[in-house]
Formats: sequence, C-alpha cells, structure tokens
Amino acid sequence: MTVTTQPSGPELADVHAIVEQVWSSFLGDEEPLLPRYADAAEEGTPAFPAEHVWSAAVSVHGGWTGTVTVELSSSVAQSLTRLMLAMEDEPLDDAEVADAVGELVNMIGGNIKSLMPGPSALTLPVVAAGRAAHSSELAEVARFDAMWNGEPVRISVHAPQS
Amino acid sequence: MAPASFQLIAALVLRETSIIYEPRKEYLVEARLHPLAAQAGCASVDAYVQMLSINPVERRKAIDALTINETSWFRDNAPYQAFTETMLPALMANRTERRHLSIWSAACSSGQEAYSIAMLLDQHLPAGWTADILATDVSTAMLTRVENGRYSQVEMNRGLPATSLVKYFTRAGSEWEIVPALRKMVRTRHLNLAEPFPVIGTFDLVLLRNVLIYFDQPTKHGILRRMHQHVASDGYLLLGSSETTLDLPADLHAMWDREQIGRVQAHRPAGGLTVPRPSSTTFSAALTGARP
Amino acid sequence: MTESPMTQRAMIIDDSKAMRSILRRIVSGLSFETAEAAHGQEALDQMEAGFMPDLCLIDWNMPVMDGYTFITEVRKRPEWRNITLMMVTTESEQGQIVKALAAGAHEYVIKPFTPDAIVEKLELLGLVSKGVLA
Repeated sequence: MTVTTQPSGPELADVHAIVEQVWSSFLGDEEPLLPRYADAAEEGTPAFPAEHVWSAAVSVHGGWTGTVTVELSSSVAQSLTRLMLAMEDEPLDDAEVADAVGELVNMIGGNIKSLMPGPSALTLPVVAAGRAAHSSELAEVARFDAMWNGEPVRISVHAPQS
Repeated sequence: MAPASFQLIAALVLRETSIIYEPRKEYLVEARLHPLAAQAGCASVDAYVQMLSINPVERRKAIDALTINETSWFRDNAPYQAFTETMLPALMANRTERRHLSIWSAACSSGQEAYSIAMLLDQHLPAGWTADILATDVSTAMLTRVENGRYSQVEMNRGLPATSLVKYFTRAGSEWEIVPALRKMVRTRHLNLAEPFPVIGTFDLVLLRNVLIYFDQPTKHGILRRMHQHVASDGYLLLGSSETTLDLPADLHAMWDREQIGRVQAHRPAGGLTVPRPSSTTFSAALTGARP
Repeated sequence: MTESPMTQRAMIIDDSKAMRSILRRIVSGLSFETAEAAHGQEALDQMEAGFMPDLCLIDWNMPVMDGYTFITEVRKRPEWRNITLMMVTTESEQGQIVKALAAGAHEYVIKPFTPDAIVEKLELLGLVSKGVLA
C-alpha cells in the first residue's frame, strides 16, 4: 500500500532564489545578501548573532501546510523599513518596522506557497519583536541563512512532523 | 577599481543606453565586470575596462552585464503592434502557397524578443501556417538560457501581459518555463554580428534592435550591408527606436528603403518587389546597392 | 495638486504601509494623483465618497476585504466599468492569476517587482505613454 505524504518542504535553491529576488527588488543590489551556510563542524542550527531581533511569520494552509518565518536583526529591520518607506533620518516607530517586516515575509511566503502543491491560502503576517517560537508539532524543513550589512537574516520553513 | 576606470565605464553606459551610474555604484560595476574580466583573461577590472575601448564584443558583454535588468517582453510595444497589424498581413498575402514565415532575432539575449514574436505568431497565424524563429547571440550563455526557456519571477513581470503569462508559461520551481509549442518554434545559433555571417538563409523579418549601438561606425555599416541579403525582398528589418537615424554612407543608405509603420520605422531592401524575387537578384542588389 | 480633468487617479490598496509607499512613489512619478486604502472595503468607501480612480493597484491578501472580493464588488457596478484593475500581489500560482483575470482584473503583477515592471504594465494598459520617464 502506498502512503502519500505531503512533500516536506521547498528546495533550498528555490528559497534562496525567492529571497534574493525580494531583496534585490526592494532593497537595491548595492549591498548584496550573502548566503551563509552552516559550518560542517557546527552542530545543528548556526548561531544567530544579533541581540535585538524582529521576526515575522505567515502560514500556508491547503495543498501544502507549513509556516514561513523571517528573522532579522533590528538594524536590518530598520534599514529595510527606511528603504521601503524612502525615509532617511526621521525616527521610525515600531509599527512601521512591523509593517515592513510583515510585508517582507508576505512576499517570501507567498512565493514559497507557489512552489508547493496547491491550492492553498496564505495567512496575514504575524510580526513580533524577538526570536520566533515554533510549536513542537512543526519541524524545520528548509532554512536559508544570510548576512546583510554584516547582520544576520534567516528565512525558515516549518511543516507538520510526518 | 580605479576612479578613472569607473568614469570610463559610466560614460560608456550613459552614451550607449542612457543609464546613469552614479559614483556610489562603483561596487556594483566592479561586481558585475569582475567575472567578465576573469573570463577575458584580464588581470584586473581596470585592465578589462581598457580592453573595452578596442573590443566591441567585450564592450557589448560589459554593457549587457551592467544593464542586466533591461530586457522586457514586447520591449517598446510599438514594433510588435506594427508586426501584427501591418507586417504579418502583408507577408502572409505574399506567401499563400508556402505558408511559412522565417524570422531572425539577431542578438537575442535571454530570448524575450524571440518568444514575444512566437506568442504573436501563435495568436495570429492561421491554421496550416508554420513559422520558425532563429535566435542568435554572441554569448553562448544567453543561447543556453533561450534553449531552457526559463525566466525568474522578476523577469516575468517585465511587460508580459498576464493573459500571455498564464497561456504560454508553466511554473517550474521559483521560475516559469515557456510551453513546448513555443519553444519548438525557436532555434538558437551562435553568431557574432561583427564577423561575416554563416549561411543562414533569408528571413521575412529580422529584429536587430538595440544592438548596433554597441558597435563602432564601420562595424555598424558592415552589419547593415551584410544584413541586406538576409532580408527577403518584401521583408522587414527592424532596428531599435534610437537607431533608425544612423548616418549611413550614400551607397548603404540607398540599399534600404525606410517605411513608417505607426510609431515604428522599418527598413526594407531597396527596390523590393511585392512578390519574392529569385535570391540571386537580391544578392547582386546587396553587393552594388543598385536598384534593379 | 491642482484639479485638472487630465490628471489620472490611482487608488493603492494594500494592507502594508511600506508597500503602499513604494507603489505611491512609482505612480506619482507617472503624474497620477493617488489615494490609499488598507483593504478593499476602505477603497470602496473612498470611491463611494467621490474619489473615482482610473486605476486600482490591488493586493490580494488583506484584512476585512481581500483584493479578489474587491474586484468582484467593483465589477458589479456598471458605472465603474472604466476603472482599470491591476493586481499587485505575492499570490503567484497560475490558478490564482487565472481566477483574478476571470473576475475582471486587467493585469497582474507578482511581488516582488521592480518599478519598471509597474510602468511597463501601465504602458500595456494604455494608461501611460511610452517614454514618460525619459
């Protein structure tokens, strides 16, 4: 008997391509996003070297079910908010940063959804100050780590444990 | 990268494409030229920039690399409109027996021009007609892209009507892939326009758009001279919108008639008839520039 | 901005202020007068109140009323038939594009996009003439 299970997650190369396109479209290509792959010697997840972090997540439900999460250092979050709002020196409030980070995960999550079997629906983004927490029922199925301006950016995809 | 090299390259790009590279983009210019410099065997980007002043092929590659986001589907719209509304009906009227059209996308880059034409042929060619599109480029990497027929999401957004996107492409991972029916219409071949052309035959439409700007005057003239025998006597040659007022020597000027079609100026072999002539006639006209 | 019958109007409908800001800069640069709404219902309310757009740029996933519902609502009103509707969304499955076009969207831009992509689509739609940025 054949048991069909959902494909666990997207290909890392596709996730990379999507993040790269979102990044270069809205944040310019003067400062490239540099991929950072886990050191072979390093056990498990590489460190996320930032003190202040923003995180945002969208969920996909339907033909494929999972969660797409973006985590970035506060300084990356501020920079991308300024670039998207075309603001230079004016002070930013948290609502503006949350909005921009939410739109970032919406764009990445929506494109990751289209890599997976559909039809599926995308939730509105949930944004938080601090690292993302994941339910124990979800397992990480893809992760893309990068550095931008010397600060960390992480995109991870979680799906139900099969 | 030396400031002088950056100034040289910025001036070149500005002159050829009207794109402005500000000094703060030095990093970007260096990042894009570095692989080309290495490929060309230059020890540095500075040395490569020096080479550009004497090497038109490298100059074109460099400008391509620096204007990498400039390729759109149906670029400039007007030539494609002129094709469906005027050129295609006229060509078909003269080919009711052969029922076949040949088109050449010279300097095809990543293939948007060739596939845009393929989409229009799919929509407008009546049943029983066939067409082939030859896509040539000096870059084999570009030819591979055309053969793969795969485009990123960002490329798909550039000027492609949504109805055509859903009709002619399927999702392939993070990319979109052209449907087999259109891909079959397009064949690729490596060709350097600056050198004598191989035996490629005659075409009903030649698209030579936004490429002459990369060549110096004598090379441009040589290309337009050689091109003459590859355009059917009732065919069309389309140049880029900024390339139609080229200063040509008298004999070369006389080789081409200019015809305004909407907002587009088409070049047609001078003295062309409304019915195809034997190719030898076309050939001698090409050599002498004389009207029969 | 002085009121002139020649000035085209654009309604930008997206729940993200950052995205509305990006789109506003692009269409303002094309001389559109703009209004913004955070969801479909807010856009409908502004249209009822008198801001009649020539063009709507519409996100799909939004609270209160999503972009797909907004399109079907606009298409129920014959007096609004001249409004050009363009989706600008991260929804990128072929099926979603087909669905939006069938509901009455004229064009579809997938996020992420570059400013050129918006300009070229508006050229295709005949809302912007070629070379306006030159």
